Amino acid sequence: MQIATIQGETRNAGGRHANRRLRKQGLVPAVIYGHGQTPETIALSRHDLVLAIEHMSHVINVAVDKQETQYLLKDVQYDHLQHEPIHADLMRVNPDERVNVNVGIEFRGEPHGIHEGGELIQVLTDLDIECPLLNIPEVLRVEIDHLGVGQALHVGDLELPEGISTRHGPDDVVATVRAKRGGLGTVEEEAEPEAEVTGTEPEVIGRTAKEEESKGAGEG
Amino acid sequence: MAANMPKRVKWRKCQKGRIRGNACRGNSVSFGEYGLQTVDPGRITSRHIEAGRVAATHFLHREGRVYVRLFPHKPISSKPLETRMGKGKGETAIWAALVKPGTVMFEIGGVAEEVAKEALLRIAHKMPVRTRFIARRHAV
Repeated sequence: MQIATIQGETRNAGGRHANRRLRKQGLVPAVIYGHGQTPETIALSRHDLVLAIEHMSHVINVAVDKQETQYLLKDVQYDHLQHEPIHADLMRVNPDERVNVNVGIEFRGEPHGIHEGGELIQVLTDLDIECPLLNIPEVLRVEIDHLGVGQALHVGDLELPEGISTRHGPDDVVATVRAKRGGLGTVEEEAEPEAEVTGTEPEVIGRTAKEEESKGAGEG
Repeated sequence: MAANMPKRVKWRKCQKGRIRGNACRGNSVSFGEYGLQTVDPGRITSRHIEAGRVAATHFLHREGRVYVRLFPHKPISSKPLETRMGKGKGETAIWAALVKPGTVMFEIGGVAEEVAKEALLRIAHKMPVRTRFIARRHAV
């Protein structure tokens, strides 16, 4: 597990305008909470934060006034285009503490059911796990070669590393290979032109048959 | 055939309205792995949606899955040609979905990134708004 270091600075002014000024300077407002202590507000370097997220770091070192402290990156908010982070939540943690985090699931191999005409449907993309702070995996790699058509991979089938448990039920489906819908004729069906929208109208809720008739007569 | 208008409505016609602000919901990839996001506000008509869906499914040769996250809920009325003004509001001509900047309109899953990018580019050519390609962001 990588622990990225992010440069930060203390932040006293809160509110929309102050935060907007921070973002213009290349900083991201953040809050630190947890362990029953008073929440603190800081500002993080956006560049460092983006790099940490790209490297899937859940635990980060924040350097404020040449003093480094370890936090769990609990949540990140993005702008409306999901492009740049606009706020981050950091949680105080102890190194020997067990934490709940979401870790991505990465499939290895190709299910043999795909060669039999099936398609792979990934139901779960992240797994909610509980593990020691310094033992958070970057990603959970799962072999799916053995899946045939109509078969599914459940959470109970996953071989999780030692000391890691999941909060999902063992019967929750991670991925399934299902037969493709329809036969070969479906392609033609999909390619056919749509029906004319004009001329057909949806049913109006609450309108009686009499009103429909009078409307039709009025139009005619 | 894909649904291109509601089955039942409470009112046959509605006012024009304005599209203000950015999308604060429906702005992340939720079903597939890759998505096509609008960066402009606009009206996506049922014809645009259907053209995009057909273009993507045709390109993908039934590989992967295409998710359409738009539905044309809004009736757009128009007056017939060579008609004088007045005499009431025109009849519904088209149905459209209103999108705000950030709305993810289409998603694709089960294919490689390059293939998804090419398929979404074909959809983008059918759209009346500027778009961008985005990938699913895993939870922190």
